[in-house]
Amino acid sequence: MWQYRELIRNLTAADLKNRYQNTSLGFFWSLLSPFLLTGVLYFVFRHLFGQEKYFAINLLVGIMAWRFFAIGTSSSLGAIVAKPSLVTKVYMPRQILVLSNVLANLISSLLEFTVLLPIIFILLGHLSATVLLFPLVHLVYFWFIFGAGLLLSSLYVYFRDLNQIWEVLTNVLFFCSPIVYPLVIVPAYLMPHYLFNPITQFIEIYRDLMIAGTLPSLYNIASVIAAGIVLYFAGSFVFNKLQRRFAEEI
Amino acid sequence: MRNAIIVDNISKRFYIPHEKKTTVFQNIVGLIKKQFDYEELWALKNISFKIEEGEAFGIIGKNGSGKSTLLKLLAKVLYPDSGSITLNGKVASFLELGVGFQPELTAQENVSLYSSILGLSHKQVDRIYEEIFDFAELKKFENMRLKNFSSGMYMRLAFSTAIHAVPDILLIDEVFAVGDESFQKKCQSKIDEFKAEGKTIVFVSHNLVLVQQLCQRSLLLDGGRIVTMDHTEKVINDYLKILQ
Repeated sequence: MWQYRELIRNLTAADLKNRYQNTSLGFFWSLLSPFLLTGVLYFVFRHLFGQEKYFAINLLVGIMAWRFFAIGTSSSLGAIVAKPSLVTKVYMPRQILVLSNVLANLISSLLEFTVLLPIIFILLGHLSATVLLFPLVHLVYFWFIFGAGLLLSSLYVYFRDLNQIWEVLTNVLFFCSPIVYPLVIVPAYLMPHYLFNPITQFIEIYRDLMIAGTLPSLYNIASVIAAGIVLYFAGSFVFNKLQRRFAEEI
Repeated sequence: MRNAIIVDNISKRFYIPHEKKTTVFQNIVGLIKKQFDYEELWALKNISFKIEEGEAFGIIGKNGSGKSTLLKLLAKVLYPDSGSITLNGKVASFLELGVGFQPELTAQENVSLYSSILGLSHKQVDRIYEEIFDFAELKKFENMRLKNFSSGMYMRLAFSTAIHAVPDILLIDEVFAVGDESFQKKCQSKIDEFKAEGKTIVFVSHNLVLVQQLCQRSLLLDGGRIVTMDHTEKVINDYLKILQ
């Protein structure tokens, strides 16, 4: 992969330019959607969970973390199919197409979290030193999403209704993760299954680091790393099997 | 002489289902109705040949004879079902010009993207950047978005970028048969130049005059099998016999 680093960089840059329509304001426009969503959810749910400590900030961090997963997976789903000429007319390791897409999403997400920091500072009155660990966690999260992207993009070549199925699944997953509600309302008997969701683990880690200022538990860390490794290897395995006939199927 | 390309007994099979299933839903319906019928098509069967370094090698044949499939196998876009292909040196495949061009980006951005697809490094692109735009005669338009280009300008930019790649082996499909007369002249003189520099060229074309001019040796394919592999003149004669 190393010898293709310039290609990866150029494809990532092209992706970002397309996304923000070549304007520097484009990024700020893209911030409109998460903040509006947070605002709406805040006003709808504040009577239910408004007493929870830091409800608004928790919501904001949850939404930002969720966006990386939701947008990362749904846009990498089409990474192969959207660039047919790069698959059928020229040789390159096809993982590059997915990688550059997820990298572009990583950069967007990093920018979004950077905007979030001063907001947290204003609302909380301070920023904990544990924020410094954020990049490490985000790297694991990136790997997790890259694995999902490999799996989805290769399957999408063969099953063209996967985007609709995935949209439904992400919607379900959104409400199965503690984004709009706090973890404490989940009934005890459901908790073991609930915590099996890696997104929950990631969101809890982000909140620990950025809001509570505590270190996440070892179990938390171990489970997200394990999830990242498993998903990456599963995704790579399926991708490598399926990519042999990509040029025929596209 | 070292061999630039060694093709060892390759075969390629395509499955053509009677009813193409492209969605999860269709696959489930197909499972229930037990529709698994498909045709097997051997696009290539037991193909072996070697191409020496610095040789220009032509591949000719009727439509559907497997020419393009063979070229795609050499370009590593398709995988053979059996046999092996060895390529010694850096390969640039010109199965299409302007691969990866994006309409929303400027000409400049597209040139650097396309060159990195062709395997050029950042530094190499910087060195030849002026040359590319001069050759394409598009210097004035370097900051214009590609979607505003005419198709002629688009082709000139793509071609000009492509020929500045520095491969050892060139795989060329009919792509250079586009554009007007003067554009084609430019293409041909560039291919001659590549040949003079001792690059290995694999050339697929219906233009027999061009194949004869360019290639010493050629390969005639029919129905996925090799009919003749010899001096171009003899191969073209055999091809004309098949056509009658």
